[in-house]
Amino acid sequence: MSTHVTVVDAEGTLGIVTDGGGEIAARSPGALFWRRFRQDRVAVASLIVIVLIVIVAIAAPLVVKILGLPGPYAQNPNLLNAFGEPSGPTSAHPFGVDGLGEDIAARVIYGARVSLEVGVIGTGIATVIGVVVGLLAGFYRGWVDTVLSRFTDLVLCFPTLLFGISLASACAVNGCLGGVIQPGLPVIIAVVVIFGWTYIARIVRGLVLSLREKEFVEASRSLGASNARIMFREILPNLIAPVIVYASLLIPINILFEAALSYLGVGVQPPTASWGQMIALATPIFSVAWWYMVFPGAALLVTVLAFNLLGDGLQDALNPKGD
Amino acid sequence: MSTPIRRRAIVAVGAMLAIAAAWFAFAASQSTSTATGASLKPALTGAGENLYNGKKGGTLTVYDSEDFLHLDPGESYFVLDYEVMFATQMPLFEYKPNNSTTLSPMLASGPAVISNGGKTVTVHIKPNVHFSPPVNRAVTTADVAYAIERGANPNVANPYFAPYFGDIVGAAKATGGPISGIVTPNSTTIIFHLTAPTADLLVNALSLPLSMPVPKSYAAPLDAKKPTQYGTSQEVFTGPYMLKSDATGKFLGIGYNPGKNAILVRNPNWNPSTDWQPAYLNQININIGGSSEVIGQQVLKGSDSVQNDTPTNTNVELAYTSYYNQLVAVPGSGDHYVALNNAHGILKNVNVRRALYAALDRAEMVKVAGGTIVGQVATHFITPGAAGYAQSGGDAGPKVPWNEHPSGDLALAQSYMKAAGYPSGKYTGSQVIKLVGSNNGNGPEQSAILKNAFTALGFNVHVANVDQSAMYGKYCGVVAAEIDACPEVGWQRDFADPQSILYVPFYGPAIVPTNNSNWGQVNDPAINAAMVKAADTVGSAASAAAWAKVDDMLVQQAVAIPWIFDTQPNIESANVRGINALWNVGSWDYAFTSLK
Repeated sequence: MSTHVTVVDAEGTLGIVTDGGGEIAARSPGALFWRRFRQDRVAVASLIVIVLIVIVAIAAPLVVKILGLPGPYAQNPNLLNAFGEPSGPTSAHPFGVDGLGEDIAARVIYGARVSLEVGVIGTGIATVIGVVVGLLAGFYRGWVDTVLSRFTDLVLCFPTLLFGISLASACAVNGCLGGVIQPGLPVIIAVVVIFGWTYIARIVRGLVLSLREKEFVEASRSLGASNARIMFREILPNLIAPVIVYASLLIPINILFEAALSYLGVGVQPPTASWGQMIALATPIFSVAWWYMVFPGAALLVTVLAFNLLGDGLQDALNPKGD
Repeated sequence: MSTPIRRRAIVAVGAMLAIAAAWFAFAASQSTSTATGASLKPALTGAGENLYNGKKGGTLTVYDSEDFLHLDPGESYFVLDYEVMFATQMPLFEYKPNNSTTLSPMLASGPAVISNGGKTVTVHIKPNVHFSPPVNRAVTTADVAYAIERGANPNVANPYFAPYFGDIVGAAKATGGPISGIVTPNSTTIIFHLTAPTADLLVNALSLPLSMPVPKSYAAPLDAKKPTQYGTSQEVFTGPYMLKSDATGKFLGIGYNPGKNAILVRNPNWNPSTDWQPAYLNQININIGGSSEVIGQQVLKGSDSVQNDTPTNTNVELAYTSYYNQLVAVPGSGDHYVALNNAHGILKNVNVRRALYAALDRAEMVKVAGGTIVGQVATHFITPGAAGYAQSGGDAGPKVPWNEHPSGDLALAQSYMKAAGYPSGKYTGSQVIKLVGSNNGNGPEQSAILKNAFTALGFNVHVANVDQSAMYGKYCGVVAAEIDACPEVGWQRDFADPQSILYVPFYGPAIVPTNNSNWGQVNDPAINAAMVKAADTVGSAASAAAWAKVDDMLVQQAVAIPWIFDTQPNIESANVRGINALWNVGSWDYAFTSLK
């Protein structure tokens, strides 16, 4: 039978000394998360890939310059054959060119910007809205919960893709609401936000309904804390882990949503580079220009896969009971 | 010492680098020889095709990714409709497939007689042409008169009635009833009295489907409906073929299933002695819908079939490289240009239009469209082969600076921006250019090229690429939409007269609020006056010169930017002896085509 003695060292780190003389250091939640996360090599690799993609997207002009590629909008009809078909990969254009003689590698790099803008900005705003709505509904319950939950149900009823297509089509030329809604990236992000918050709100509401009955909330309330303080200082920190996990899984969904809209011709319009739009333009000429579809497709696949695997890794690391 | 994980990581990174290096090595090894603009040997053009000596019998399958718009001769104007129209009906006059300039009498028994200083046209028709069942009786000139009169009926609303038949006495106020200027003294004579000496134009227009006879007793009840049901659900025919119909003449759901198929069978009342068309085929099955890419490959690699609509660049290349004898590229059939809004916004300024004209890389637009096989850089609006083409500059076009640089000249363009009041050579105003293009085919690429030209001159541009029918129907053809530029509107001449190329798209008084074909809303008083003068000019040489002058004025004012004189590629199966109607974008003539 072994015995344990609790000790505190000079730096204040709590530790337990076993009768064998070994010390077991206590770890903060963050340290525990990181310890678990870094053991998941797939998740770490996904994180590295995502970081690389983000760096490439942010530094796209520099990356294109370093690689010696022409700009993403540099049209060169001399790179089309006599029938107007694009030419394939060469040393100057490692991913080939498109139907305008534009360098596909450069456009794939710039296309990462659009995908990440929709994925990160859209998901970020949707997450904030979803958290606030879920917090209010779960905390106050009663009529507030009823109104917000039914509104959430109502929004969930909308077929998002069809709505996006309709909105983008209806506002394609002259804009809508007196020109306030103009087609393009902002509209796609708006659609992502308008319909994306509902899933987060439902999850947060359920968690808050449980958390608001916990002892630490009762204790805070008994000390005279206001509702706002309880919500945002006591309950919210406990929501961070599930919200991060869910948001990380929402990002690839939204990236695919943008790609789908652009593929259908109602998303980002040429000449702005978008992976979905590039795949759409490549479809009719796939038999003679496979590179036009393969590289944007691969970029989309890798990005979405990385975010999905990262989300799984975060879930495992932040919520080990879930294993 | 490395841990196993680190070793695996190093191996993984090394593998990725190796793949990347291998890829770059592969890419570097690829030849760039295909990426050249080297000139090609010409494709077959259909010129000199032997119209006769075909084999009788057999069924031709026609693949068509698009549906017809109208099968009523009173409404028809779409090129695909024409193929059925001219195989199933007899106009007064018609071009033989291998001749796009000289009209031959079809229902008419001889040439039209022009008298009264060009103000009267008399036509006699063959006495023994019969309608298909259930009408069965012989065609009379009253049927021709009704066919033209119903063009003014709002329920029919023929788009050519006003521009080409508007000079007939009484036509201006016609709404479908009798027109006083059309007289039929007997069953085989019809006389047209005109308000102006425009007989030449009218005779040319008598080759349009509007002159195909329609029996009033059969069609009038159908014409009373809005829109007319004649040609929508039932019709009678005079040509060698007819849409498969029941005993009442109803073809809807029998010989035509919208969006699916159409079936042409022999007309039992057709008399070969009244027609110069051989009508070799027993039946023509038209399959509607499907991917143009797939259709093209089916036709090239299959048998007994032709593709009706324009094949994709990929299939043109495939045909040219592997099925050379199955590709016919017919030149001089039409043109495409950038429509610029002459009535609204910054493009009202002629120098801004000239700047854009000078900046646009028209050669790139042609290259993207498919290269020399599908056309040549356009330098004006009258198309090659049409009267007036040579007089307005031929291939080089009118000699103005903005027309002399097919690949664009930015410095020149900026000089016109300076002349327009922008000292930096770039636009500094706040207008955002609304550019509406097509998302079909290489439409998005054409929009991007045009946007490039605008952007180079300092404009902010909003691009919307929509379905081609919406591009015309909702935006470019709607005055109130106030679209600034449409990169690829196209015009196909209606007949061999330059008036049919220039009048409708550029005559100011012809502007209508919707379905407008004057896409740039060009309404220049001097150009309008020159058109009126040219229309009234008698004599083919003088008329050609007058229209060439109009053409020159259009380029001088840069009312639009012509960028391609079209050559229409058509593809057929190896065992098809296809005959192309050179006057009709080279589309397949079912009444001459046969199987080998």
